[in-house]
Amino acid sequence: MKAPEPRARSAPFDAVVVGAGPAGASAALCMAQRGASVLLLERGATAGSKSMFGGMLPYCPAAERLVPGFWDEAPWERHVVRRSLSLIGEGTSTTMSFEADSFDSPPYAGVTVFRPLFDRWLAEQACKAGATLLTGVVARELLKDQADRVVGVVVDGPQGQIRAPVVIACDGVLSFLAEQAGLRRAFNTSQMALGVKALFHVGEREINRRFDLVRRQGTTWEFLGVTEGVRGGGFLYTQLETVSAGLVLHLDSLQSRGLAPYEILERFLARPLVAGLLRGARLVEYSAHLLPEGGVQMVPRLSRAGLMIAGDAAALCYTNGLIQEGMNLAMTSGLLAGETALEALGTNDTGGDSLASYDDRLKESFVLRDMATYGRAPEMMRNERLYSVYPTLVGQILQRMYASDGNPRPSVRAIARQELKGQGSLPRLARDLWEGVRAI
Amino acid sequence: MITDILFNLVSYRIDEEPHIRVDQAKCASCANRACTFACPARCYEWNQGRGQLDFAHEACLECGTCLLVCEAGAVTWHYPRGGCGVRYRLT
Repeated sequence: MKAPEPRARSAPFDAVVVGAGPAGASAALCMAQRGASVLLLERGATAGSKSMFGGMLPYCPAAERLVPGFWDEAPWERHVVRRSLSLIGEGTSTTMSFEADSFDSPPYAGVTVFRPLFDRWLAEQACKAGATLLTGVVARELLKDQADRVVGVVVDGPQGQIRAPVVIACDGVLSFLAEQAGLRRAFNTSQMALGVKALFHVGEREINRRFDLVRRQGTTWEFLGVTEGVRGGGFLYTQLETVSAGLVLHLDSLQSRGLAPYEILERFLARPLVAGLLRGARLVEYSAHLLPEGGVQMVPRLSRAGLMIAGDAAALCYTNGLIQEGMNLAMTSGLLAGETALEALGTNDTGGDSLASYDDRLKESFVLRDMATYGRAPEMMRNERLYSVYPTLVGQILQRMYASDGNPRPSVRAIARQELKGQGSLPRLARDLWEGVRAI
Repeated sequence: MITDILFNLVSYRIDEEPHIRVDQAKCASCANRACTFACPARCYEWNQGRGQLDFAHEACLECGTCLLVCEAGAVTWHYPRGGCGVRYRLT
């Protein structure tokens, strides 16, 4: 791909990227590496100071492409060797843990990171490549010409209007810019989840001891049945010296249940399983953020004349109940937006048709293909029974299977049949199972 | 109680100019007032005595929950001035 010609231009920059999160910094880095003049705008005092996520960056090739030696250079905390899921029932807890030997050697399947540190580092890489980072600047509006083409952004402060042939909006889940552009649809609480997280200092050795880890091994741990009737789940992620403990709650469900997220969090932290792992730990920070969880159906058109959107701003984030991806999708989409911008600048055509190739690239990449594969998951995950009835049911069946009371035992199959009857209908379970299997 | 110290752990640079505005007339007739429980920073509180919604923009975590859960369309919300608002250190 050739670098854009030095342009006799009215605009001081080839491209303005809004938001120095993983999507924006990736876009800026990609373009700066190939000689484009890029302005990266960040509303926080530093890149990453507004960022928050659950905890794990899954492996993604875009990272290596952007920063050779990425996995040695980037400031990550621990590589994840174990993924656990606990179903918490009434008085029971059932945990499934998965470990793979391959997770313990590079290329790692996933690493935990602190976003304020990681995002700042990635933005620094963009600056080293020649991008200009302006922090503490909010891009309030898109600048459009008479033909309704995006030709720049309007920012607070002395800079005022900043013109550029390409704008890449990576302004996060609330993306007011994508909304103004007519790309993002109106907010819908049924497509959003609220993440709340408490960070605890536990100490490196204690984490290794309590979570049965060695060296810089890490673990992720998800919990179902801990959200008090609100659809959602709990999580624990290990960093080098700290543990993140939090909840993800479907916003429409939270709204109708009338519960406060920090109160559910408090009771989650007090559960014996969690409290034991965090005993004596010092609370360090609290944070909250929204997640786009509407799946592929929530992803809007991703470009128009002069504009592309990437990362959370484009709702590129998904979960199927077992895996949660977002940051890798953000970096990949940022990279693809950057590459599309370079090509468009090279041909001096940043019109709608030219930038629409970004939509195609994302559709061909794992980003939108994975989101399409799990396209049914958001609907499946709106099933209330996943969060209360089934964790309890699993616990009851296992409890009766393991317990001895001196009476002759029924077969496990008979126990399961009896317990299922108690929980309503078998056809409903069969339907839920089928929906679950279809969704993943 | 963890909740009592949770909110004290967050760093901010406070913007004197509130980035949240509420339409008190709409709040007064709102049935659910979801902001008063759903906001993860506990920024909103219904003041029964005065019949108004008290809110503290200084404690906002800038997540946008209030904007989405407000059923009365009473919340006007934009990002704080550049460099202001919440400042996460690790998270």
